[in-house]
This record gives sequence, C-alpha cells and structure tokens, in this order.
Amino acid sequence: MWRLNKVRHKAGGHANSLEELRTKRREKERALRQARRDRQLVSKRLLLNEDEEQDTMEVAPGEQDVVTLFQILHHGGTEKEAFLRPLSKALRDPSAQLTFIKLENSMHLLVGLLTGSDARCRLQAVRCLHELSHSPHTSVASACLPATPYLLTYLSGQSTKFTELCLYTLGNICPDSERVKERLLAQGIIPALAGCIQNHRHNLAVVEAAGFALFQLLQSKDAAQKVIPTVLASSLPSQLLSVLTPDPDFGLAPAIECAWCLHSLTSSSENHRELLAQGALRQCCSLLVSLGGAVADGNTDQGLELLVCPLLRCVGNLLSSCPAEALHSQLGGVDLVAPLCELVVALLHTLPALAKETAWVLNNLTAHSTESCSALLTLNLVPRLLELLPFSQGINTMVLRVLANVAHKKKEFCVRLAELGLLSALTATLKMADQNVVTLSLEVLFMIIVSCPQMAEQFVSQGGLSVLEAIQYNSDGEVRRRATYLLEQHILTEK
Amino acid sequence: MMLQPDVVRFIAMGESQTHNGDEEEGFRGAAEQQVEGNPFTFSPQLLRLHRDHELFEDGDVFRHMYLQDLFISEAEEQPAPSVSEFGCHISGCRAVFSTLHEYEHHYNSLHRHVCCSCHRSLPSARLLDIHIQEWHDSLFTILAQKQDMYLCLVEGCGQKFRTSQQRKDHLIRLHKYPPDFRFDKSRKEKGTREASREQRTDTAVEAADDVCRSEGVCEVMCGVESNQLEQEESMETHASSEEAAQSEDFSASAQTPETNTERLKPRYSYRVPKTVCFGHGSVRGFRGQRGRRK
Repeated sequence: MWRLNKVRHKAGGHANSLEELRTKRREKERALRQARRDRQLVSKRLLLNEDEEQDTMEVAPGEQDVVTLFQILHHGGTEKEAFLRPLSKALRDPSAQLTFIKLENSMHLLVGLLTGSDARCRLQAVRCLHELSHSPHTSVASACLPATPYLLTYLSGQSTKFTELCLYTLGNICPDSERVKERLLAQGIIPALAGCIQNHRHNLAVVEAAGFALFQLLQSKDAAQKVIPTVLASSLPSQLLSVLTPDPDFGLAPAIECAWCLHSLTSSSENHRELLAQGALRQCCSLLVSLGGAVADGNTDQGLELLVCPLLRCVGNLLSSCPAEALHSQLGGVDLVAPLCELVVALLHTLPALAKETAWVLNNLTAHSTESCSALLTLNLVPRLLELLPFSQGINTMVLRVLANVAHKKKEFCVRLAELGLLSALTATLKMADQNVVTLSLEVLFMIIVSCPQMAEQFVSQGGLSVLEAIQYNSDGEVRRRATYLLEQHILTEK
Repeated sequence: MMLQPDVVRFIAMGESQTHNGDEEEGFRGAAEQQVEGNPFTFSPQLLRLHRDHELFEDGDVFRHMYLQDLFISEAEEQPAPSVSEFGCHISGCRAVFSTLHEYEHHYNSLHRHVCCSCHRSLPSARLLDIHIQEWHDSLFTILAQKQDMYLCLVEGCGQKFRTSQQRKDHLIRLHKYPPDFRFDKSRKEKGTREASREQRTDTAVEAADDVCRSEGVCEVMCGVESNQLEQEESMETHASSEEAAQSEDFSASAQTPETNTERLKPRYSYRVPKTVCFGHGSVRGFRGQRGRRK
C-alpha cells in the first residue's frame, strides 16, 4: 500500500537530506519529462516488507552472495526458507539481478519453490520474483516468463499478501517487453485481473495492486488494438468505476489507480460507448465535484490532485464523445460549470498544469451546450474567467475558447459578455505576444461586434482602434486579415 | 497552444447534431459567416486529447513521481503560473514586454504618428502633420516658392518662414531649441538618406527600414506585402505627385542603375492603403478621400 505519509517522514529529516531529496526529485522529474517526450514513460513499484522502511540503504549482500545462496538452494535441503529471505534481499541490487538470471536453472528453482507445497517458501519465492521484476534491466522481465502462468493462476487465490505481490510483479514486468505482454495477454491476464478484483473487492490493498497492474498493461503502445477491446468487454470497467469513490479510512490509493486506468481507457481509444453506458461520465463528474470542492477549500495535503487529474481527463474525453442532446442525461443532473470554474481558479497558483486541464474540460462542456454557457453567465462566473486571461502556457488560450463558445451561442450572450468586461479584457489580450491568444481574441471580438454594433464604439473608446491598426502589421497573415476585415467592415464603417 | 493534428482529433459536431432552436441567434447560421472574404472561422470545438498529448505532460510526470515515491503534496516546489508577455505587433519589431504599460509606452513612442509615405515616426500628431505637409505634399512645395509656408514647430507660435533654414534659425534663437533637433530634418537631407537607403535595400522590402528611425532605437519592418495592396483610384493624382516629388530628390544624388529602374516602378510607399495607417493622426496625411479596399 502506498501512503503519502512515508514521503513526509523523509521530508522531516535534517536539512541536508531535505536538500538532497529536492535535488534528487528535480533530477528525477527532468528524467521523467524526457522519458515522456520519448514515449518511454514507465514506472515500477516495489512493495516493501512491513518491517522495512523505504529507502533503507541496507548494505547489499553483493553478487557473490547471490551465487552462493543459489547454490545452497539448488542443492536441496529442507532449510530453504532461511536462505530465500537473504536471497530476496540480495536481489534488490540490480547487478545481482542480472547475475541471478544468468545462472543456469535459477528461474526453474524459483518457479519450483513458487509452486511447491511449502507456503512460506511460496511467499519468499514470490518476493524474490518481485525484486527481480523491479529491475531496471528489461532482460530480467523476459527471464521471469516461466513464472507468469503461475502468478496469474494465483490471482484467483485467497491469500491477500501473496496476491498483492503477484500483482505488483506482473505490473512491473508487463511494460518491459512486447513478448512478455503478449504472453500475458494470451495467458488471460485480463480476465484474471477482473476475477481478482471481484474476489478481493473488500481488500483495498489488493484492489490497488490490481489497478496498478492493469494500468501498466494499458500503457503499451498498441493498447488500443490489443488490450482495450478485451478490457471493455470484461467486467473491469464497472469494477473500476465502483472503486472510484475513495475510502475514508484506507485513503486515495486504490481510487487513484482505478482513475488512471479509466484515463488510459478513455484517452487511448475513441470507443467510449461502453463507459458512457455504465454511467462513467456521471460518476466521474460527481466525484470531481466533491473533490474539487475540497481542493478549492485549500485541502491539498492528501494528494487529492493525484485523483483529480485523471478524473478531469476522463470527463474531458468522455464529454468529447457525448452528443449534445445526451449531455444532460449523461451528466445526470450534476452541475459542472461552477465547480470547474472554482477548480481552475483554485489550482491556478498551486498546480497551473491542472488548471489548464480544467479549462480544457470547461471548453468541452461549453462547446455545444447552450445551458452550460448560460450557466456561466447567470452564476456570475465570467469575471473569474476574465481574471485568468493574463496567464500563459495554454491557460488563456483555453479560457478564450470557453468565452468564444459562449459568444458563439447567442447574440444576447455576446452583449452580456461585453457588459461583464470582456471588451476591455480583449484590448489587453490583443496585445499579447502569443499568436494564438491574439487570433482567438480577434474571433471573440468579431462575434461581439457583429452581435451588437454599438460595441464597436465602446471598443474604440477603450483604445481598441490603435491596437487593431497595429495588428495589421503583424507577421501572421491570418491575424492581419482578421484585423483588417474587422476594421473595414465593422468598425470604421460605423463613423 | 496549438494542438498538433497527429495526436489530437478535433471533432466539430455537425450542425445536425446541435439541438437548440435558437440557431438564428447564434453564429451558426449567421449571415455574416457566409459573406465572402470573411476570414473569421471560429466555431466551438470538442477537443479530444490523446494520452500522449503535450497538455497531459505535467500531470503524467506527477503521476509517475507518485509511483516512484517521489511525490510531495506540499506546494513548496510547485512552479508559479507564468504570465503572458505582451508583444509588439509590428512585424519585425521583436520587442516583448511583461506589462501592458511597457507595451503601450513602446507602441506610443515608436509606432504612432507614423507617416504613411515614408514610415518615419513622429512624436506627435502635429509634427506628423507638419512633416507630411513639408515632405510629401507637392502643393506645399509649389506654394513655398512664393509664400512663407514653413510653420514654427512650437505650438502656439504660429510664425511662418520662407525656408526651413529660416525656421530653424528662429527655433534656435527664439525658442532656444538645439541646432540638431531631431524632428526638424530638412527634406534635402531626406533625399540623400533616401537615395542611399534605396541603394542599400531591396525593392522587395516593402516598408522603410526605419519606422522608428527618428529615435534611432529599433529597426522595424512593415510586413504588408505588395500583393495585398491595391491601387486606389483617388490616390492616382497623389501617386504621381509622389513620384514626381521623389524623383526630384534623386536628381540631387548619385543614381545607380537600380534606382533608375525603381523610379519607373510604382513606389511602395503610396501603396499602403489609407486605412492601415497608424493612429488617427496619420489619416490627415492623405488629403484625398478615404477609399475602401475591395
């Protein structure tokens, strides 16, 4: 189980280690960013023993010990468990892992112990496999292939700790190689996972582990063709949805994994019919609303954003395939407009990237829904949106899209927007360096002026004429054409 | 944030799928949209984002920091949101500003009150008027041969002089102006400068290379292309007088073969449509009627 508390223990250490921690984190973040750009973003998880603390820098027993231990185990005897424990500790070391898999019959030994009659040995054997699965070397995953049919079989067993270890082991090895993933699919990992969650639905640690394993499976590049159709056809979607609401005692972790699985499903594939039919949109929305409220209240010390993020994405992508007529029924009466606006504002200074994602969801909500646009106006949310316009990196462009969506619906909305201060906001955004901001601002301005020609005068009185004239000299032809057209056809003709 | 087509699919819902009855009120069926030449294209779009989309980058990195036990929930390390910069629109002017005030100051100082003919920037509407009159108005040139036409630059003085040199003396003597006052260049100097400029630059360069030359600060190019500009009927007389005025200048300086052929070609300066001049002041630079671009 993952607890964010553990991280805080580390942070509570003395200054040196805190600084080291920060540096390490920043480096790691850079590496992750690059990995994502290379489409190679994969992580593994290591389940520690209860008696271990994270990051304990135990002196690694060393490669030699691995060889020795293996030889002892290989030569028979009844004290196997006593040697399996140190072996699993030894296998935490990456080079020891490589050494081990190169030893002849090493995997055969482990599989034998995994499937033997001694339950304690089984547990230690799976722990060894788990350590191996965490290896940074992708060749190790392939070496674990002989164990996979058993790991999958054990998923329908009853031993919770054991099952947890199997799940994390499977989750760790499946992104490492195509061969492993295909073998797992052929061996029925998807129905096994479905069955596992079903059986252990009340053990949230296992559910979390299963969610992780499924997430790993869904990361493969051809997931949309090879994995997702089978997942959608199984009982997994409804199970994932049923786990979404966080348990107050256990915490967010299982919900986090399931939400990320749902995000992987909705963002890799355009087929949302099944999920929509299961009420995914409604459920994600209502959960988002309650979590969003907590975030807006400043309650961010529990890692809520780890759950808010995938939920936002699910809602955003599900909205994009929901036909306009069905929107109201799909949302099931959940009012999203106000909570989303609050969330953008709340996240802006703490997590601007998430604020941008929230604005994206608002765009999808307002694109074809006159009701949502009307709500933005009647609930007096427009001034808050206008306050977001100075912020860059995609936030203001997305907010401008939302405002444009509103303006596009009705001329009356244009007038209301102008009354709420949009015109003067536009005189500022038209001067921004970002061409997308300028283009969208011109589009909105055009809609307002066409709807209500008196707005042209108001715009001019706010000093808008000179900025439009300046825009006629912009390096972008599309921008120039718009400014010129607006000036000639709608502003200068008013005189 | 431009969304790359290869990882994003836009789904613009067709009109048949939109439901509400007030279509006439919105822009969907608006007559405006069907007007030819209307460059405005916005329509609301549902944006579906593929999992690899760059918009998702930060959240994904977050997620993996959590998986690798490096996640910290406190806001201490989160970056502050960045604020949009303001950028001068004038093509070629790469000035960027962090506040609106700086932008306004830049624009008002360097790009307002710009002469449509030679693209010089003058600090005020009045000086612009005087400049246009003295440099680009052939009628002025004719009248100046017989009467005092050179107006004192100090507002309220009102005195006029036969030559610009006399005015300059007046400015120095009476108004204590410096002898090298930047906004009182005479046309003779302009001629030399313009000729040398022509030798340097390409005819393909549409605008003067010094919209703000008077300040000597930056070099700004007006990016308006020649094929965008039309000959205005009402400008024909003006144009020919322009040409005449400019050919006068060239007679005063050495001519290269290039400048000779340039004389025969239509000059770029009068091709700038009236409606695209900067500031209200420059409207007065054209004595002719305001034309409409077709």
